[in-house]
Formats: sequence, C-alpha cells, structure tokens
Amino acid sequence: MFLEKTHRFVYSLSKGLNGIAACSVFFMMAITCADVIFRYFRHPITGTFELVGLSGAVAVSFALAQTSLEKGHIAVDFIVRKFSEKTRLWVERVNDIILAVLFALISWHSFILALSSKANNEGTMTLQLPFYPFIIGISVSFGLLFFICLLHFMLSFASSDGSKEAEPGGATCL
Amino acid sequence: MSVTIVGVIGIVALFVLIFSRIPVGLVMALVGVTGFAYMINVDAAMSMMVKDIFDVFGSYNLTVIPLFILMGQIAFHAGISARLFNVAYKMIGHWPGGMAIATIGACAGFAAICGSTNATAATMASVTLPEMKKYGYKDSIATGVVAAGGSLGILIPPSVIFILYGIMTEQSIGKLFMAGILPGIILTILFMLVVMIWAIMDPEVAPRGPKSTFKEKIVSLSGIIETLLLFILVMGGLFGGLFTPTEAGGVGAMGTLVIALVQRKITFKGIFEALFETTRITAMILVIVAGATIFGHFLAITRLPYDIAQMVSTLALPPFAIMGLIILVYLVGGCFIDALALIMLTVPIFFPVVTAMGFDPVWFGVIIVLVTQMGVITPPVGLNVYVVQSVATEVPLETIFKGAMPLLFAIILITVVLIFVPQLALFLPSFMAG
Repeated sequence: MFLEKTHRFVYSLSKGLNGIAACSVFFMMAITCADVIFRYFRHPITGTFELVGLSGAVAVSFALAQTSLEKGHIAVDFIVRKFSEKTRLWVERVNDIILAVLFALISWHSFILALSSKANNEGTMTLQLPFYPFIIGISVSFGLLFFICLLHFMLSFASSDGSKEAEPGGATCL
Repeated sequence: MSVTIVGVIGIVALFVLIFSRIPVGLVMALVGVTGFAYMINVDAAMSMMVKDIFDVFGSYNLTVIPLFILMGQIAFHAGISARLFNVAYKMIGHWPGGMAIATIGACAGFAAICGSTNATAATMASVTLPEMKKYGYKDSIATGVVAAGGSLGILIPPSVIFILYGIMTEQSIGKLFMAGILPGIILTILFMLVVMIWAIMDPEVAPRGPKSTFKEKIVSLSGIIETLLLFILVMGGLFGGLFTPTEAGGVGAMGTLVIALVQRKITFKGIFEALFETTRITAMILVIVAGATIFGHFLAITRLPYDIAQMVSTLALPPFAIMGLIILVYLVGGCFIDALALIMLTVPIFFPVVTAMGFDPVWFGVIIVLVTQMGVITPPVGLNVYVVQSVATEVPLETIFKGAMPLLFAIILITVVLIFVPQLALFLPSFMAG
C-alpha cells in the first residue's frame, strides 16, 4: 500500500515536472522567434542565447523522469528478451541497483556543483543569470530517477509470484 | 596497464553492458565515469560527469533538436502529414504499388519539416498504415515501406543526425543540410522504383488503388502548400544567412503553429501533445549525447582515437578501401547498437581518419546519415521497425524487417554511388558562402 502510494506520488511529480519541461520548450520557440523578428527592426532581445540554452537545460532535465516512466529511453533488449522470466527479473533488479547508484551519484555531485557554482557567483555573461538553480534542477531530476529505480526494485519483490511488473513503466525502471 | 589497454577494456565493457537492457546513454556514462575514475581519480570523474551533463543539457547549439522535433510534431497534430499523403495518393495511388509509393512521397515531404527518423516513421505509420490495410496491401510491404521511408527524415533536411554530426565535427549545419537534399531526392526516387518493381513482380502484395480524376488531383495539390512554405522559410533562411540553425528551428516551429492555428487545424490538446512528445524525444536523444560526451572524455585520456587514427593511416590500403571498411563497421555495428549511439561513439574515432585521407567532411556527414538509415531498419536493433511495430502491433517484427529489406538495397546503392560521385552531396553546399 505504502509502495503504491509512493509510486503514485512519484508518477504525479514526474508528470508535473514534464509539464514545466513542455513550457520551457514553448518558451524556447517563442523567444527565438521573437528575437529574429525584433532583430529585423534592430531591437534584438538581449541574452536570447543564454535564455534558450538554460531553458533547454530545464526542458531536458525535467523531462527525464516522465521519459523513463514511459520507457522512452533507447535500450538494447533483444538478448535479455530471450531469457526466462525469472532470469529476466533478476537482470532487471541488478540494472535497477546499478542505475540507482549512478543516479544517486549524479544527483549528489550535481548538488555539490551547484553549491560551488553559487559560492563562485558563476552565471551567464550577458544577463548575469546564476547557473546554480539550473544545476539544482538537474540534481532534483536525477534524485527522482533514483527513487523511481529504488521503487521499481522494491515493487519487483512486493508481488507474491515475483513476476509482477511495476506499473506504469513495465519491466525495468528505464 | 597501458592507457590504450584501459581504453580497449572500456570499449569491451561498453559493448557487453549495452546488451543488458540498461539505456545506451546511461551505459556510456557509467563506463565513461568508471574508466575516468580509474585513470585519474573518483573526484575528478564525478566532477567531469556532472559538468558534462549540465553542458549538454544547457547547450544552446543542441536546442535546435527540440525545436525541429516540435516543428514536426505540430505538423503531425495539425494534419499536415495526412494532407501530404493525400496529395501523393491522389497523384499516384493507381500505379502498381501506388499507395506505398505515395507513402514514400509523403515521408519525403514530411522529412522536409521533421528532423527525426523515428518521428517521421511514427507519424507516417499512423497516417498511412490504416489506408494501405484498407486497400489490401500486405503487411510486409506496408510496414517495411513506412520503416524505410521514415529514415528519409534524417537525410532530407532538417536532420537531427546532421545537427549532431555538425556539432561534433565543427562543420556548418547549413552546408550539411544542403548536402542532404540531392541524395534525399535520389533515394526517394530509388525507394519508389524498388516498390514499383516489387509490386509489378508480385501484384498481390500491393493492389492498385482507384484512379483520381484530374480535378481531384488539382484540388489535392493545396495539401502540399504549407509544407512547401515551411521548407522555403526554414531552408531559405538558413541558405540566405538570415538565421542560425537554432533560429531556423524556432521560426519553423512557430511558422507551423501559426499556419495550423490560422487554418484551425490544431487544438490546444494537440499543441500540448506535440510539446510532450517533443520533451520525450529530446530527453531520449540528449541522454545519449550526454553519455557519449562522458564516454568521449574517458576515451580522450586513453588516447585510443589518436592511436586508431595512427594505425589506420599506416595501413597499406587505398583510401577507398579504408572508407569501405569504415562503412562495413557502421553496417555491422548498426545491426546491434542504436544508430545514434553508434555515431556518437565512432565519429570522434573515424572523423580524423577520414579527413586525414582527404575526404570531404561534409560528404562524410552524408555517408554517416546513410549508414544510420541502414541501421534503423536492420535487425535486430532497427529502431524504425520497433517504432512502426508500436503502431501496427499485430504485425510481427520479422515481417517488418523483411518488408524493409528490399529498400535497404536502395540505401546501399545510393551510398556506393555517393562514394564514387561525391559531387551529388557537395554540389548544393558549394553555393553557400564560407
């Protein structure tokens, strides 16, 4: 019950972040276009280059969790598909652990990078926008991916016959 | 242990782990950061990994990818893809294999406003497969044609692969786009010829459709206008130096949205779906790019790319034989590894070799796109085939692979022709300044 509730929460959170990612893509399109038009009238939008780049960071990092839940990442599975169901389940559990460790490391070290970036006042050249909030965004996204893998791993044991797949998302966390 | 051996072990580990079902981008990141930690130290490796991720995700140059994908997605939700098919169908639907030929024509048209092979295949599969089924087309030809036709999405500009290749090798994306146009048109015609010959030899696989009247044909032509306008806007702006590739993507996406809104062909739901599909495809691509960047930094400190380039340059083989070997590596590798991942891994290794042999980097970009096209339709890891199967769920993968095979020969043929006649790719870029 607790696992299912947590899973639902993670799913909603991923969807919410993906909504922000979609808005960022729309913003990228709008500001790029506006800059081209205003440039024609000799009034380009200052810092468009920086705004578009940072919006890209928001769009990609906030779309990661939902893409993972929808199994949108490219994986080569034609060998694993040939395994028995039980072997496949164990391969997926090992993958979940490997990925959880990788995501935890990325999340933690992104957070450290954000702190160091803030301490050094690092930001964009023209608009002086600080980098650290965007790096924290990446840290949060990978933290969420860590939880998704962990949840998937635990859900694979929660089923009585050991073969139940975590929904939504199917057989493996990514 | 010598640094070169560490590099070789890294590549072997990568190939083993890639088959474990872990997403390929994350496998590259995992092996890259582990190898870097072994070579330097853990802190440096972690720092390199998170900096690479931030640099890739926040790269202005790479934002061109979501913008061109968005353009294609809006076009799909506004029904532009369906109207393109309708034009082609009205014109040539009554030919032998006419509907499959119309599908290829529509794929080529949609490729002119969409930069992704998977997105083109997915879009055209949902538009054309029900029609071909209705007229009694066999699953093999119907699905195979969409899978192969979808691959035109990366040869006819805009193209995600040209963009990534241009960024990786510091080549002009505008020139690469231009270089894809003539081979794209020729390959479209070759695809059509293959389908026509197939349908003449075995009429049962593709029954002729009803003939349209002259008036119907003329009326249907209006369905091509928006695509033509958008292509001229995007490529004209790039060709004329009015805007950068990213700006072209932004203007193209906005132009498509404005056209769709003016024609009242898109709903708010459609816009949101286009945006969500864009974020999904972008995240998928950029995870691979970030993983390849991390792995690339590891490879760089092993000096493996440099050693391979040195080794190849000392081989007593003519440049064309070496080029043939490189293409063979892509052909075989493309069967087992996702084409995008293969490019991200191998271009840093092969590019110095190819340029050292005196081949044109823009021409090599077109060759890379062609081998990628082969990779997306060859078993067992032909991504377009999986994409088409996700739409035609009742059709076995084997049937789609078999259906795409005759069209694979057309891609091989154009690749061979391009090797001996590079001007086919370099003619149009020669008109561009710089």
